[in-house]
Formats: sequence, C-alpha cells, structure tokens
Amino acid sequence: MGVNPLDLIREYLPFFASGTLFTIGFSLAGIVFGTILGLLVCFGKMLRNKVLSAPFVCYITFFRGTPLFVQILIIHFGVVPAVFHQSNGIISGIIALSLNEAAYIAEVFRAGIQSIDEGQTEAARSLGMDRVQAMRYVILPQAVRRVLPPMGNEFISLIKDSSLLAAIAAPELTYWAQAMGAQYAIVWTPYLTISFIYLILTLGMSAIVNRLERRMATK
Amino acid sequence: MMIKVENLKKSFGANEVLKDINLEVQKQEVVVVIGPSGSGKSTLLRCINQLEDITSGHVYIEGTDIADKKANINKIRQDVGMVFQQFNLFPHMTVLDNILLAPTKVKKISREEARVKAMELLGKVGLEEKADAYPDSLSGGQKQRIAIARALAMEPKMMLFDEPTSALDPEMVGEVLDVMKQLARDGMTMVVVTHEMGFAREVGDRVIFMDGGYIVEENEPRQLFEYPQEERTKAFLSKVL
Ligand SMILES: Nc1ncnc2c1ncn2[C@@H]1O[C@H](COP(=O)(O)OP(=O)(O)OP(=O)(O)O)[C@@H](O)[C@H]1O
Ligand SMILES: [Mg+2]
Repeated sequence: MGVNPLDLIREYLPFFASGTLFTIGFSLAGIVFGTILGLLVCFGKMLRNKVLSAPFVCYITFFRGTPLFVQILIIHFGVVPAVFHQSNGIISGIIALSLNEAAYIAEVFRAGIQSIDEGQTEAARSLGMDRVQAMRYVILPQAVRRVLPPMGNEFISLIKDSSLLAAIAAPELTYWAQAMGAQYAIVWTPYLTISFIYLILTLGMSAIVNRLERRMATK
Repeated sequence: MMIKVENLKKSFGANEVLKDINLEVQKQEVVVVIGPSGSGKSTLLRCINQLEDITSGHVYIEGTDIADKKANINKIRQDVGMVFQQFNLFPHMTVLDNILLAPTKVKKISREEARVKAMELLGKVGLEEKADAYPDSLSGGQKQRIAIARALAMEPKMMLFDEPTSALDPEMVGEVLDVMKQLARDGMTMVVVTHEMGFAREVGDRVIFMDGGYIVEENEPRQLFEYPQEERTKAFLSKVL
C-alpha cells in the first residue's frame, strides 16, 4: 500500500498504449476478415443446393453455439500449433476472432438480404440481370443499409470479446492489466484503467457507426 | 409468333394453379387477361418470363423454349419487359438510375448514351422533371409510369403487365392507362392482366377469361363482353361490369 495509483499507471503507460493498439488491431482484423469471410459464409448458406450449403450451416452453428473462449483455446492450443508448428497468441487471436465474427456477420447479412422484398429481385431479373447482378446492384446496396446497426453491435461486442485473448498471452489491454495486477497485487487500478479505455473504444465505434448510418440515410 | 404457351401446367406443391394453358400472342397484339382472384393470372404471366419455373408444358418466346437448359433466360428476359402491381422500383436509386441500371449493366451501353434514351422515355411518360428524384418521393401513378419507362429502356419486344393499376388511388389510374394505351398504339406486343374493362375494350385485341387455372373463354373484347358464351364468364362479368 501507499503506492500512488497514478505513478503505477504512468509506469505501465507504454504497456497500456501498446495493449490498446493490439486491442484495436485485433478488433480491426476481426472486423475486416470477419466481414469478408462472413459474406462468403452467408452466400454459402444461401445456396439452394442443400448439400453445398450444409458446411456453411455447420460452420455458423458451431461458432455461434460454442463459447468464444473455448474456440480461442482450441485454435491456440490445437489448430495453430498443428498448422504452423508453433503457437503464437497474435495469430491465434486474429484467427479465432475472425472465424467467430464471420459466423455472426453471416447471420446478420442473411437476415438483411432476406428482409429485402422479393419483388426487388424479380424486378431486377425481369430486366435481364442475372442472379449476381441482381444481388450486387439491387439487393446488397439496400441490405447494407439495413445491416449497419446490427453490424455495429457485432463490432462493439468484438472489441469487448477481444479481452478473452489475454488467456493466450496475446499482448492486448486485458493481458497488461492482469500483468500489472499480478506485479503489484492490486485490482482496482489496472482494471478500472482498461475499463475506461474499452469504454472509449466502444463509444468511438458507436459514433463511427452512427455517422455512417446518417451518411447512408441522406444519400 | 411472340409468345406461345403450350399445355402449361404449374403447381405449388399439391396445389395445381395452372391446368393446361394454351395461348398464342402475335406481334403487336394486345391481349388482356381477366378473371377472379386466385384464378392464376399472375402465375401465368410469371411463367412466361420464368419468374416461376413451369411444372410441365412449354413456353416459347419468339420460338425459343425458355425451359430449355440451353436457352439463355437472362437474354430472353431482356426482350420481355414486366410491370408489377407493386411497381418494385429500386428505392436506393434515383429515377434516372433506376432506368439506367439494366441498360448499362446488362447491355453494357455507355451511361451517356443510355441517359439520352432514358430522358426520352421519361418524356414519353411525362416525368422528365423527376429524373433526379427518389422513388419514395413519387405518387403511385408516377412510380408506375417510371416502372414502365424502366422496362422500356431495355427495348423489349413485348411487355407483361400484372395489374399495373390495382395498387393505385383511383385518380391516378388514368395517367398509367394513358401511357399503356400509347404504348399499344405504338405497336408494342402486350399481355395485360387488369380489372380495367374500359382499357380492355379500347385497346385489347383479344380478351382472355381465366378461372380455376383454365382459360375458360377468349374472344375479341366486344364479343366477349357483350356475348359471353360460358356461364362462368357471364357470372364474372355480371360482377365487374
Ligand atoms: N409462390 C406461391 N406459392 C404457393 N402458392 C402460390 C404462389 N403464388 C401463387 N400461389 C397460389 O396460386 C393461385 C393463383 O395465384 P395467382 O396469383 O396466379 O392468382 P391471380 O389470378 O393473379 O389472383 P389475383 O387477382 O388475386 O392477383 C392462388 O391460389 C395462390 O394462392
Ligand atoms: Mg395476380
């Protein structure tokens, strides 16, 4: 006792700074790869051929039906060592978050696409557009607007969920808070500090999504 | 022969909606389809451009069997314009972009060239000043006229109309029918499902009465309306005329 929390924070500042960058990096990677992969999985699930769509259905079911924490452990201690012959918390973290996010994004997109009136596709097809053109020019642009709010929620969850990566020693915010807590046997200072940083990140994400929504609404 | 429908049957599950339809539409002919709700009028139109897969029989567009695996349905549909009861304009695009989309993306016509043509069509339906408006800001009648212009932009050889005025307030029906009448006068081949008997009389070359998935009776409008032969036709006409 008797240690000034501000001094501790100052000492750990470089670690919290790099931890913040890692948290942002993991989240961005999860958002970008998760969205790309999620779109593919979404189209895969919507294939009319049940045999072809089955793997995508299984994918979504697995990643949404099991805890992210368990997925992180499987990927970090099972999949990544098997593929890369070494373990690496950063690679495991990016893979786990992206794969998990993709499953949620796929469902968000599917709901968005299916919420667009059937008549839109029919009008597009009746004009001679093929399935892909109708999707690209008519359905997706409308669906994107509709999925923006739920996507924003997914992204905010992702930022928070990235804290689970502390368990595999990925050097993000929570990892450094744990380190600080262990070094000085303290609780409040490290965890309140990173809570504050997480809040800034999630509120920032909300603001970005809100702005995007407004920009799209006025177009 | 623009359209030829041969022994067409269409079922949704166990529900047989079209039960052996035979129909021919000549070039520049205007065929009006009437009949009670649920008789299969929309389904027939939708089978003609394969928005519904047919269960058995054949539909030929200019001699091409559209159910043939080798037939390019996207190419065929370019020749078959369709106008829907609910307009189905693309709400995220301006009126002009609604009209330009298919010509530029499907036919790969340059935007400039397509634009000239689009403005011409907007003039034809009397809505040049709405080029930059979004569909949501238009009245029903205006939306439907834009939908017609959008279909015409692909320079189709024939047009299918599925109750184009049924979703409109009564005072807007006339403006849409006027556009369709002009189209008929210009020689467009048309199949029109409608409850507008006045339109059928004025521009229809032939009226087809459908009931229960069959074509019950067909004749030129005056004959069919004045001297219906079938009981079911008489019963229907006595209700709508
Ligand atoms: N996609 C579908 N799935 C199942 N049944 C359908 C489908 N589309 C139409 N039907 C059925 O087919 C029958 C004929 O429908 P259709 O829309 O062709 O009638 P219609 O003559 O156009 O009627 P309306 O005047 O009400 O438009 C109806 O009983 C309808 O319930
Ligand atoms: Mg109908």
